Amino acid sequence: MAHIRLSAALLALLAAAGGGPARGAQPIEYAVKASYLYKFAPFVQWPSTAFETPTAPLSICIAGSDPFGPALAEAVRGQRVNGHPIMVRHVEAVRPGLACQILFVGGEDAGQTLQAVAHEPVLTVTDHSGAGGMIQFVMVAGRVRFSINQAAAQNSGIAISSKLLGLAVSVNR
Amino acid sequence: MNPRRALGRLMMAIAETPAIGVAIACMLLVASLGLAYHNEGQARADKIRDVTVQSRILAASLAGPLAFNDQTAIHEYIDALRASPEFNAVGAYDENGRLVDGFSRAGEPLPQHNQVDRPIVQGDELIVTGTVAQNGATLGSVYVGAATERWSRRATRYLGIAIVIVMACLLVAALTASYASVSAANRRLQAEIAGREEAEEALRQAQKMEAMGQLTGGVAHDFNNLLMVASSGMELLDRTTDPVRRERLKDGIRQAIERGAKLTQQLLTFARRSPLSPEVVEVDQRIRALQDLLERSLREDVKVEFEFANGLWPIEVDPSQFDVAILNIAINARDAMPEGGRIKIAAHNYPAGGDTARDMVRVSIRDSGGGIAPELMEKVFEPFFTTKSVGSGTGLGLSQVYGFMRSSGGLVKIESVVRRGTTVFLMFTRSSQTLPRPNLMTDRLRHAEHDATVLVAEDDEHVAELVAEMLRELGYKSKRGATAAETLRLLEETGPFDLVLSDMIMPGKINGLELAQEVVRREPGMPVVLMTGYSEAAASAAAEGFPLLVKPYTIEAMGEVLGHALQQ
Repeated sequence: MAHIRLSAALLALLAAAGGGPARGAQPIEYAVKASYLYKFAPFVQWPSTAFETPTAPLSICIAGSDPFGPALAEAVRGQRVNGHPIMVRHVEAVRPGLACQILFVGGEDAGQTLQAVAHEPVLTVTDHSGAGGMIQFVMVAGRVRFSINQAAAQNSGIAISSKLLGLAVSVNR
Repeated sequence: MNPRRALGRLMMAIAETPAIGVAIACMLLVASLGLAYHNEGQARADKIRDVTVQSRILAASLAGPLAFNDQTAIHEYIDALRASPEFNAVGAYDENGRLVDGFSRAGEPLPQHNQVDRPIVQGDELIVTGTVAQNGATLGSVYVGAATERWSRRATRYLGIAIVIVMACLLVAALTASYASVSAANRRLQAEIAGREEAEEALRQAQKMEAMGQLTGGVAHDFNNLLMVASSGMELLDRTTDPVRRERLKDGIRQAIERGAKLTQQLLTFARRSPLSPEVVEVDQRIRALQDLLERSLREDVKVEFEFANGLWPIEVDPSQFDVAILNIAINARDAMPEGGRIKIAAHNYPAGGDTARDMVRVSIRDSGGGIAPELMEKVFEPFFTTKSVGSGTGLGLSQVYGFMRSSGGLVKIESVVRRGTTVFLMFTRSSQTLPRPNLMTDRLRHAEHDATVLVAEDDEHVAELVAEMLRELGYKSKRGATAAETLRLLEETGPFDLVLSDMIMPGKINGLELAQEVVRREPGMPVVLMTGYSEAAASAAAEGFPLLVKPYTIEAMGEVLGHALQQ
């Protein structure tokens, strides 16, 4: 049953992105990506303007279709980073002032979508190499890895820990 | 008991038992055990801290790889620790506590599930667990098992120190034991010395008593003769009116009395009881003044020669005792030359250095007589030792010389060659004082009307009468109290008096010295003169600063002392 539902979700995603990028993607791949998505948070330093209060929630926003399903919300339950509880939100469209700390945009042309938050302290994550954003998931030898665009992060006032940079497949400085 | 003495005795008691040593050794042991325990705890804490730091470094390094499941990186980090033999087991666990990677050397395998807890020690292994966290987010945990030092190795390490400490304890114990025995032996020795000194003192006293016994026998004979002369002279004095005969009898009596006084004086000198009154004396002048007396004492066939160096240093002696000593030696010399001969008296300065530490003046008296046999040399200074026939010598001559020299701080030495002669050397310490100006003799005895009243305290009826007579002769009025109490009463009731003259030894509760002190307390400024024949009493009077008349004294001496006391 879960399989059928995930396939349905993927179909929905394909429809939204106007292509078939997730073709052949394994469900386990998105489970791993979901866990990575919130594990980026401890390794990232946002400017203080990114949070309203020290205990304000850290929002992981999923723009458009959601490839993770309930697994992500399940994984982040009860987790805190620097005193901020982690919250998962879905946004229909990317526009300035979303109040997201991490923004995941699927699809290969996510770069255009992300222009709207280019000057906001938002860690942008995309699903494909060359899709833009600060962190891009890539597949290396069948494993989920990621590359980092450090220059883009710095332009938005976001500092990424060297520990995370060290694990990246490539880093654009 | 005096607390300081009690403390001293306690210290001695402690010093004589090895208990203190045992206590010190025990304290040393306890201290070293405590130190070892403390060190052990310190080392353990250090070890825990070290391993904890290592585990934290590992946890920090593993944050990224664990979060993003980078097996290669995890393996590299854990493998880095494998290089150190210190770590028995190292494991990395994910956020759910499941083992991700790790190694374990021989022994138990890594636990499949890790639970973060405080560091614990299991056998020889120290287990430290730590959370892998980044910015407050828990990403996993680590497990580090480190080898602690083996018990046997630790024991070996401590064994060396333990041996040193045990040796130190043994050394302390041995030292204190030997000190205790030495200290106990020392105390026994001290006690023995004290006992021996007491015995020696008792022996000396016994010898003195024996000497006194012999003295009594020997002197009684002489005194009896003198008393015979005096009493028969007095009797004859009453029966005759011929002035020439009376004068001769009085002369005889006076001479007998003088000889008696001289004999007493010699005995007292021997007993070192006569108060010596040292004066600064010029040796050559003093001996030259003796020439008449020497020639009268010696026979006509004995010639006396003098030889004095120029610039002789002054000496400080009792002049009359000095005279007696010279006379005694000269008489011995005369007796050593039954066929006549020469006596040569010489004096030289004898500067410090060589066999003397101080400047001295040496007087030598040499005769050309028979000498003294070597075996007798040791005995010549013993009292009552004499080579003369019974009745012609008392054996006190050289004893007087010896006693006199001892009390004057000098030395006496005899050199003798049989059939060639004997030389007696007297060594006197040079006096730093200068010669006093001679007194005008005319001032000393003045039959002036003093118009002064003297209160006399004297228990002996006859002496009191005599003293009253002498005072009257000197122009004083006098009143007598037979005891100290009566004297004080007279002082209160029948005064005023100008001077108090008191015997020192008197019956009753108060002696002469206390009477004198009481008189001065009641009437400050009242002159008090004390009389005594005992040197101890004389010394205590002198210590109190009272002028003193030494019995027997002449009327001149009395006049001089009283006149002096009244002037002040």
